[in-house]
Amino acid sequence: MNRTPLPEWLANSLIDTLSSQQPAAPGEIHTTARAQVIEWGLPTLRDEEWRWTNLRALTRPLPTSDVTAPPETIGVTDSMPQVLRIRFNGGKLVELPKELPDGMTITPLQDADHAQRRAAFAPLAQSPNDALLALNTATAAEGLVIDIAANVAITPPIVLEFLDAPSETAAQTRILVRCGPHSRATLIETATSTDGVTSWRNSVLVAELAVSSQLNHLSLGLDGDARLLTDRSFVTLARDARYRSINIQLGGQLVRREIDVNITDTGAHCDLFGLMMPRAKQVLDTHTRLTHGAAHTTSDERYQIIADEAGRGIFKGRILVAQDAQKIEAYQSSRNLLLSDSAEIDTKPELEIYADDVKCSHGATIGRLDDEALYYLKSRGISSENARKLLITGFAQEIVDQLPTPELVEWVGQIIARRLERQQAE
Amino acid sequence: MSKEHMTEQHEIETLMQREYKYGFTTDIEQDIIPPGLNEDVIRLISAKKNEPEFLLEWRLKAYRHWLTMTPPTWAQVHYPPIDYQALSYYAAPKTAAELAEIEASKPKSLDEVDPKLLETYEKLGIPLHERAILAGVAQPSNVAVDAVFDSVSVTTTFKAKLAEAGVIFCSFSEAVHNHPDLIKKYLGTVVPAGDNYYAALNSAVFSDGSFVFVPKGVRCPMELSTYFRINAKNTGQFERTLIVAEEGAHVSYLEGCTAPQRDENQLHAAVVELVALDDATIKYSTVQNWYPGDEEGKGGIYNFVTKRGDARGARSKITWTQVEAGSAITWKYPSCILRGDDSVGEFYSVAVSNNYQQVDSGTKMIHLGKRTRSTIVSKSISAGHSQNAYRGLVHIAKSADDARNYTQCDALLIGDRNGAHTFPYIEAKNTTAQIEHEATTSKISDDQIFYLQSRGISEENATNMIVNGFCKEVFNELPMEFAVEAQALLAVSLEGSVG
Repeated sequence: MNRTPLPEWLANSLIDTLSSQQPAAPGEIHTTARAQVIEWGLPTLRDEEWRWTNLRALTRPLPTSDVTAPPETIGVTDSMPQVLRIRFNGGKLVELPKELPDGMTITPLQDADHAQRRAAFAPLAQSPNDALLALNTATAAEGLVIDIAANVAITPPIVLEFLDAPSETAAQTRILVRCGPHSRATLIETATSTDGVTSWRNSVLVAELAVSSQLNHLSLGLDGDARLLTDRSFVTLARDARYRSINIQLGGQLVRREIDVNITDTGAHCDLFGLMMPRAKQVLDTHTRLTHGAAHTTSDERYQIIADEAGRGIFKGRILVAQDAQKIEAYQSSRNLLLSDSAEIDTKPELEIYADDVKCSHGATIGRLDDEALYYLKSRGISSENARKLLITGFAQEIVDQLPTPELVEWVGQIIARRLERQQAE
Repeated sequence: MSKEHMTEQHEIETLMQREYKYGFTTDIEQDIIPPGLNEDVIRLISAKKNEPEFLLEWRLKAYRHWLTMTPPTWAQVHYPPIDYQALSYYAAPKTAAELAEIEASKPKSLDEVDPKLLETYEKLGIPLHERAILAGVAQPSNVAVDAVFDSVSVTTTFKAKLAEAGVIFCSFSEAVHNHPDLIKKYLGTVVPAGDNYYAALNSAVFSDGSFVFVPKGVRCPMELSTYFRINAKNTGQFERTLIVAEEGAHVSYLEGCTAPQRDENQLHAAVVELVALDDATIKYSTVQNWYPGDEEGKGGIYNFVTKRGDARGARSKITWTQVEAGSAITWKYPSCILRGDDSVGEFYSVAVSNNYQQVDSGTKMIHLGKRTRSTIVSKSISAGHSQNAYRGLVHIAKSADDARNYTQCDALLIGDRNGAHTFPYIEAKNTTAQIEHEATTSKISDDQIFYLQSRGISEENATNMIVNGFCKEVFNELPMEFAVEAQALLAVSLEGSVG
């Protein structure tokens, strides 16, 4: 295997963690994961799944900082009072909603029963050679199980806010979301960090969507220039379930998200939308794997990258249609804007198809802003900078518009606008 | 199950049982080095071929590097580990081995060539016989053939005409003796000895191949062609081809392959290097029909090939066209390094897989020069239990201003027990780059078949028409001689496979 051995500081911190806290994973899963962590170390660029993303930043201890206060909170929670807010600070659960609507329960992982913990840590077996997943499985002590009962619609969004506080090692969290039959919910994951302060979160979210349930899953990484995030979601869809993932990443030194969706029964549908806007020296990376494991299922995937300055955007999306999963419609597009010669975009839209009666297509483009469009706007008296901004905003808006509420659309839109203005001012 | 469906099933089964047309073995004495690989074997190969010192050193260096490498695992293919010590690394027909020793004793005419060898080529329909061409028995053809029988080049035709134009077209061994400076200058400059696992192995043990040199300003007066065949049991075939087109030169090269039926898997790890200087054009066309294994997936050729063209000069152009129908496993990515400003790279491919064949093939377009352009058109057709993957890289370097790429990958599935995959890698580091990639996967629609049938066209003909139309863009790029062969090959490969 093309791996570097587990860095010494990480091995030490692993030993520390294991001696100071009770791991949340059930015994045998934990034992396997611990062995894997030591055996696998960290992936390198020679590992096919990591050929564009360098984990060099993790090979030495994270830089320490004098800042110990948690970052100021921004955004969702303030501007939207009607949310169910859950907060983690550096991997520790610090806040739970005071009241929960009927049909919804939240259980901290420490209090979860064996079956819940087993479900929360199940994905280890499905994901071979995933060193970071093994690391999370071996060390995660904190997390949650969110259960939504059958036939319940939870109207206020459930907000999982991660305050990525500086810490000596990774914040390892594990979340399990179970949506009962015919239920509906919106889950928003946001991260907040302080500029210039390095933090690392290695988190895992597992979602199980029962028959006819619907889950909107938003992941919003809107700030931070020193934040390291390695995060994966494992989602399973039962019959007629609908899952929509909207992944918007605007900040972070290194953000690597992996989204695994497994459609296991007919009639289910999955949307995967993403927008990544790397700038400065940011590396923003998303890998999606979507498996159509049953006939008569559909999916729509749209990912866009806007790379500026020395930013690097990476997208890899795999759509797998299993044998006998006939009558599938899967559409995937990767459209990208490269705005600076120091920036880089790497994209790899993949189709892996084992059934014949399918309609699958993908398209990928990389280009810059359209000269003619810029010229048109300028001829109407709009300055070069504004014309550029308009076109970038318009391109980003195609994904932002997919957010489920007008408030969120406006809020994220404003953050992007502010960022473009700030860049312009610089 | 409907009646139509039953017929379809039946037809597919009939197809599956079709036998490999070219499965026969020529029974002639062979000069084989016992199986195994070590430095002594490499020295022996080199000595047998009377090679100069620099080449032996080059081989040994490659071998030592190979020892440190591991076989690539990223491809979408599965096969048991290969025991490289169980293979024999050199096999030459007796007569030819003698030829290699004494250049002068080469047969003066085809009469002197082992008749059994000529017979083999007859069966394959290679237009080797100049007399046949003159007599008008075979199709009049403007093709020069350098036939490769296992490892040693046997005879070269049309030499006189080529020499007149100043074109060098000979076996690699000959070139090593007669043009060592050219070999020294260009060998390994496109595919370095340690490029990848199989290229390193090839560099260490390559037996023979073809060498083409087209001097400045010359347009090669005819199509050049090599037919590769793998014949002896348990011998890996390690061909090495080097084509150099100097400033303003133009050459079209055809490579065709068929191999006799064998039960055990055979390894083929060839290397092809193309060098195009300013304003030069190289067109490299391949029809590959090696033994794919039987309907159980037993046997067949492992085709692990490194092909790369270096569009070194300004305004140079390299075109790869391939029709891949054979081999149990294909691992092949003909690539273009677009180094010269305004250089052009093209890749046109049809890959057909059936039974238990596995294909992981595609191309790499590395844009380094300004205003470089590349086009990729890849068509794959999978039937039976086969797996057919396109894997391609488009890389736009920071230096490549105004580079342009267009990629189209279409996959056609026939039957529901096979797979079609697309793995495009797209990397851009220059804002002026324009890259487009599109891919579709589908089966032949019932509507299309129904429409044609309602016009009185049989189901099979309708299918053929649709498949031919699906591949047309690629066939159009093939030289005349190959286009006909390719269409026939496709028809045979897919006969009756669709309902």
